Amino acid sequence: MIFEQLSGNLLQGLVLGSVYGMATMGLSLIFGVLQVVNVGHGAFIMVGAFTSLMMFQAAGVPPVLAIPVAFAIGMALGMLFYFGALKPLVSPSGSGIKSLDMRAVGMGAGILVALLVVMRFLSAAFKLHFAITLFVAIIFLYGFLLYIYGGRRQDKAPELATLLVTFSIGVILEESVKQLFTSEARGFNWAIGKLDLGVTVLPYTKLIASFGSLTIAVLLYLWFRKTRAGMAMRSVVEDDVGARVCGVNVDWQYALSFSLGIGLTVTSGVLLTMFIPVGINPYMGGPYTLKSFVIAVLGGLASPYGAFFGGLVFGLVENGSYTLFAQFQGLEPFAMTRFFSFVMLLVILLLRPTGLLKVK
Amino acid sequence: MKKRGLILLVVPFLAIAFFVAPAHAVDSIVIGHPAALSGSYAKAGEQAVGGVQAAVDWVNSVYGGVNVGGKKVPLVYKYYDCESKKESVTSLLERLITTDKVTVTFAPYSSGLTLAGAPVAEKYGIVYMDHGGASDKIFTQGFEYVVQTIGPGSSYHVGTLEMVKKIAPDVKRVALAYEDSEFARSVMDGAEAKARELGFEVVFKRTYPMKVEDLTPLLSDLKASDPEIVIGGGHFQDGQLFNKQMADLDINVKLLSLIAAATLPAFGEALGDLAEGVMGPSHWEYGVTFSEEGAKAAGMTWIGPSQDEYVALFKKAVGKDMLPDYHAAEASAQVLALVLAVEKSDSVDSDVLRKTLGDLTFMSFYGGWDIDDTGKQIGHSMVNVQWQKGERKIIWPEDAQTAKPVFPKPDFE
Repeated sequence: MIFEQLSGNLLQGLVLGSVYGMATMGLSLIFGVLQVVNVGHGAFIMVGAFTSLMMFQAAGVPPVLAIPVAFAIGMALGMLFYFGALKPLVSPSGSGIKSLDMRAVGMGAGILVALLVVMRFLSAAFKLHFAITLFVAIIFLYGFLLYIYGGRRQDKAPELATLLVTFSIGVILEESVKQLFTSEARGFNWAIGKLDLGVTVLPYTKLIASFGSLTIAVLLYLWFRKTRAGMAMRSVVEDDVGARVCGVNVDWQYALSFSLGIGLTVTSGVLLTMFIPVGINPYMGGPYTLKSFVIAVLGGLASPYGAFFGGLVFGLVENGSYTLFAQFQGLEPFAMTRFFSFVMLLVILLLRPTGLLKVK
Repeated sequence: MKKRGLILLVVPFLAIAFFVAPAHAVDSIVIGHPAALSGSYAKAGEQAVGGVQAAVDWVNSVYGGVNVGGKKVPLVYKYYDCESKKESVTSLLERLITTDKVTVTFAPYSSGLTLAGAPVAEKYGIVYMDHGGASDKIFTQGFEYVVQTIGPGSSYHVGTLEMVKKIAPDVKRVALAYEDSEFARSVMDGAEAKARELGFEVVFKRTYPMKVEDLTPLLSDLKASDPEIVIGGGHFQDGQLFNKQMADLDINVKLLSLIAAATLPAFGEALGDLAEGVMGPSHWEYGVTFSEEGAKAAGMTWIGPSQDEYVALFKKAVGKDMLPDYHAAEASAQVLALVLAVEKSDSVDSDVLRKTLGDLTFMSFYGGWDIDDTGKQIGHSMVNVQWQKGERKIIWPEDAQTAKPVFPKPDFE
C-alpha cells in the first residue's frame, strides 16, 4: 500500500520535476552569463502560459505547436528588454542617458503626449488595446531619448540596479497582461487521453510536457558543448575579460544569452500549461519565481542543465517526502514537505556549496 | 489662563449640545460605510456599494422612507473608499462616526477588514453591520455591536451535506481537503462537525498551502481513502487546479463541491466538460426563487423588492449593465434589516437598535435573516449551485431550485 503510493507519487514527482527544471534553465543561463538575477522570472513563465492559452482558444492550436511561437516571442522580448533596459547597466561598453537636463525632460514629455494622441487614433482604427499602444509609445520614446542623449558611460551600475530592473520588467509585464486579459483565472482543456500505470494515472499531456523538457535540456547541453557559439558563451561565463581578449564579442553574447534565457523561460510557460492548464492569470508567476531560485541554487546557480537536474531532484523529494510524512497521524504533510525541501537545500549547500553539478 | 479660556469656550457648547441633542428629532437615517472601492477587493466593493445604493433607493422611492418618530424619514448613504486597507478602515470609521455623525456603520468587504474596523465601532458603541466578513473568528472576540448578514464560514457546506443526507441516505464516506487559510479552515471545521452530526464518516481530512502549484500527492492519498463525497477548496486558482487534477488522476466520486471557485463563471469557462456536475456553495445567486408568497407560507415578515425589481434597481445604481452577485445582495439585505429594526424599535439609539436586530427575523429576495446572541448570522441558508451542461444551476435548497441536482455526479470523460 505504502509502496504503491510512494512509487506512484515518485513517478508524478519525476514528471513534475522535469517541468520545474525546464522552468529554471533560463534563470540559470542568465545568471551564469550576465550575473543578473532575473527577479521577474515568473512573469515570463506567465507570458508563455498566456501564449499557449490564446493559441488554443483562438485557433485550437495544441500547446506543443505553441512552443516555437513562445520561444520566438521570448527571444524577441529578451532582446527588447536587454537593449531597452538592461544593457546600460551590465555591459562594460553600455550606453545610457548620460545627463537628463530639462531639455530632455520637456522634449520627452512633449513627444509622449504627441505619441499618445497618435496612438489613441491608431488603437481605435486598428482595434488594438490601448495598453499595447501605450507600451509601444513608451518603448519608442525611450529609444528616441537614448538615441539623442545617449553616450558611453564609464561607471558600472551597482548590482542592486539590475535586480530592480528585472523586478520592474516583471511588474510591467504582469500589469500589461492584466490590462489586456483582466485578472480572472483562465484555463483550457486539451484532452488526449491518459496512461493508467496501476500505481497512478498520467495524462499524455503531462508525459509530452516532460519529454519536451528533457529534449530541450539535451539540445541546450549539446549546443553548449558541441558548437562554437556555445563555446563562446561558455567562455564569457568563465572569464569575460579573457573572452574579450580572445576576440569574443562579449556584448553580443550578453544580449544573446539574455534573450535565449527569456526564450527558454517563456517556452517553459507553455510546457507548464500542458501540465496544469488552469488557473492561468497575470500573477501566476510568483510561486514559480521562488521555486526556480531554490532549484537554481540546488543545481549550481550558473549551470542550466544543472538546473534541470535540480528540478528533477526537487520534484522527487517534494512528492516522495509527502507520502512518507502522510504516514504520521496528525501531521499536515504539505507543510512538512516544504520544511523538508529547505532543510535538504541547506544540507546540500553545506556539503556542496556550488550545487549538485559543479561548474568547472 | 489659556486653559481656563478654553474651558470657558467649550462649556457653553457642551451645555447646548446636552440640551439640544435629546430634543433633536430624527430627520434622516445615515449609513456610514468605509467601502473597498479600490485595491484587492475592488470588484466585491463595487458590488457592495451598488447593493447598498439599490436598497436605499428602494426604501426612499418605493417604500416611502423609514417610519420613525411618527414620520417617514429618508435613508442617507455616506461612503468613502478605504482602498482595501486596514489603516484606512479605522480612520474612515472614526471620521464617519465623529464628524459625519452617522446612525449606523457598515463594515467593508472581507473578514480581515471587518475585524480591523470592529474595535472602532465598539469604542463608540455604534452598530457595525457585517455583510462581507464570513470568518467565525469575528464573533469570538466578544464584540457587542457587530451584526452579520453574510453566512458564517462554518455554514458553507452545511446545505451540501444536508442535501446528500436527504437524496442519498446510504452515502457515507466524506473526504475534506481545504486550503490552509483562516476562511477555508473555518469552513472545513464547520463541515466536519456537520458531517459527524449527520452520521457521515470522515475518511480524509487535510489542508494544502495557499498558492499551491500541484495537488497530485494530496489527491493520490485522497483517492486511496476511497471517498464518495469530496468537499473542499479555498480560492479561485486552487479550486480550478483541484478539479483538473481530480480528473487527471481519474478520481470519480458521487459529489464534488468546491468553495469560492465553482460558483464563478470563469470556472466553467476554464474547465469546460470537466466542470460538469461540480457544485459550490454561494450566499446568493441570480435566479433564486425567494418570494413574498414563500415568506407568507413560512410565516415570515417580507420586506424589499422582488428579485427582478432588485436587478433593475442595481443596474440603475451602478450605472451599467452588470448583474448583482452575492456581494451586492448581502449588502442590500443588510439595509433592509436596518430599516425593519429602526421601525420596530422606533428609535435610532445604538443599544436599542442592536437589541432589536437580535430579535429580528425576516425574509427578502436574499433569503432568510436571523442572528444569534453573538451577532452571527444563522437564519440565512446558502444556496448550492451545480454546473449542468455548461451552465450554473441552483439545485439546493429545494425552495430556491432552478434545476434538480444531478446526483451522482457524472464521471470524468
